[in-house]
Amino acid sequence: MEYPEIDKYSSLESPIHNFDPRTKIITFTLLIFSSVFVEDIRFAALALIAAFILLIISKLPFKFIFNHVKWVSLFILPFLIIMPFTVDGDVLVNISYITVTHEGITYGFLITVRAFTAILLVFTMLGTMRFDTTIKALHMLKIPNPLVQMLMFTYRYIFVFLDEFQRMWTAMTSKGFKPGLNISSISKIGKSVGMLVVKSYERAQRVYQAMLSKGYTGNPNTIVKFNIKTRDYLITFLIISFAVVLHISPVVLLQ
Amino acid sequence: MVHISDGVLSFPVVAFGWVLSFIIIGVTLWWSEKHGDIAEQIPKLSVITAAFFVASLIHIPLGFTSVHLMLNGIVGVILGILSFPAIFTGVSLQAFLFQHGGVTTIGINTVILGIPALISYGIFKTGVKRLPFRNKIESLFGGISGGFAVIISVVFLVFSFMLTGEELTTPASLIAIGHIPIMIIEGLVAVSIVAFLLKVKPELLPVKGGGKNE
Repeated sequence: MEYPEIDKYSSLESPIHNFDPRTKIITFTLLIFSSVFVEDIRFAALALIAAFILLIISKLPFKFIFNHVKWVSLFILPFLIIMPFTVDGDVLVNISYITVTHEGITYGFLITVRAFTAILLVFTMLGTMRFDTTIKALHMLKIPNPLVQMLMFTYRYIFVFLDEFQRMWTAMTSKGFKPGLNISSISKIGKSVGMLVVKSYERAQRVYQAMLSKGYTGNPNTIVKFNIKTRDYLITFLIISFAVVLHISPVVLLQ
Repeated sequence: MVHISDGVLSFPVVAFGWVLSFIIIGVTLWWSEKHGDIAEQIPKLSVITAAFFVASLIHIPLGFTSVHLMLNGIVGVILGILSFPAIFTGVSLQAFLFQHGGVTTIGINTVILGIPALISYGIFKTGVKRLPFRNKIESLFGGISGGFAVIISVVFLVFSFMLTGEELTTPASLIAIGHIPIMIIEGLVAVSIVAFLLKVKPELLPVKGGGKNE
């Protein structure tokens, strides 16, 4: 299992990296929501191009993104394949029972384009700042305190338990365990998950006591100071107007 | 288990997911605040959530592919009503760190996984309380909760596709069929987890003699 390092390239220098974290989260989230609900394929494509431009500006390596899009592709590609055959509309090809429709192809592409736009934007947003900065920015944006803290602690302990589980897995395989699809293998995997939960439960007690002794009250204290500059307002204005235009122009232009 | 990506569902479905998950998170956190110290619960809850997050990355080979564990039923059994905010955290981090599921669909994905977790908790708790047998029956109910959680999740997923549009009927039914083996594996894993915890740390389960028995 590899570490989920979304912020591996957060130390690069680019206009997106220097964009204030709070305004970055707000503008990108708006743009993501806007581009995900675009109904017209041409405007969806426009949003995808915009997302690409933002990604290029951010200087994140393409290889890094390519490694991460596999889950989305696994989920989305079936839509691209199935939709042309199942959506009713103008028939393009008709071979006995199989019909391919124009609407189906458009709809399949629409879903794919919207999904990839969203994923590129998420990358550009989260890949250009350290994850703890993201969480602090969320806190300053008044996301409810319990949720921000759960995100923070869970994120931190995911790395701890990845190592912990890796050790257990090495121990199991060195004693001859091979994962397979049979009762004994599944039962052993269940027991290893149980062991991980027991370990986490015992660790949770110690973590809480250690935190109490360091003065934990339930409120996070952030020492990082963010400041919003004029340039941040400008980028925010540009991105948000684009997000609005994506929804207004189809109504105006295609009447 | 597949999480729904961005760009598939319609706006009403996505909005409904966010509203419903925020309401349930609010209610569950308020409830546990009333019955205990939330400042104490949060670090502990997060550490266990992280462990489940890691466990959900385990691959089990299935034919020429492999499946991930969902574990939402067993999360429900162990964490009780707080399993819902825990699943919200898990789903958010999966979207942020692995791009597994979308950012706009965090709400609906939380509903799809979280409500079955709450139902599983209910099934396990009432089942164990009503029946007199020990150990065997609890593992059995663990398995039922684990498998049942997958079924309800799939039903919710199919619903969210159908509400978006009739075009998505075929993908929805394919996903539903694909989850039958996952449901069986998930149930068996849950049996094994509950049997293990009963021997090693029964206070983690809502059973008689365990610490979580109110």
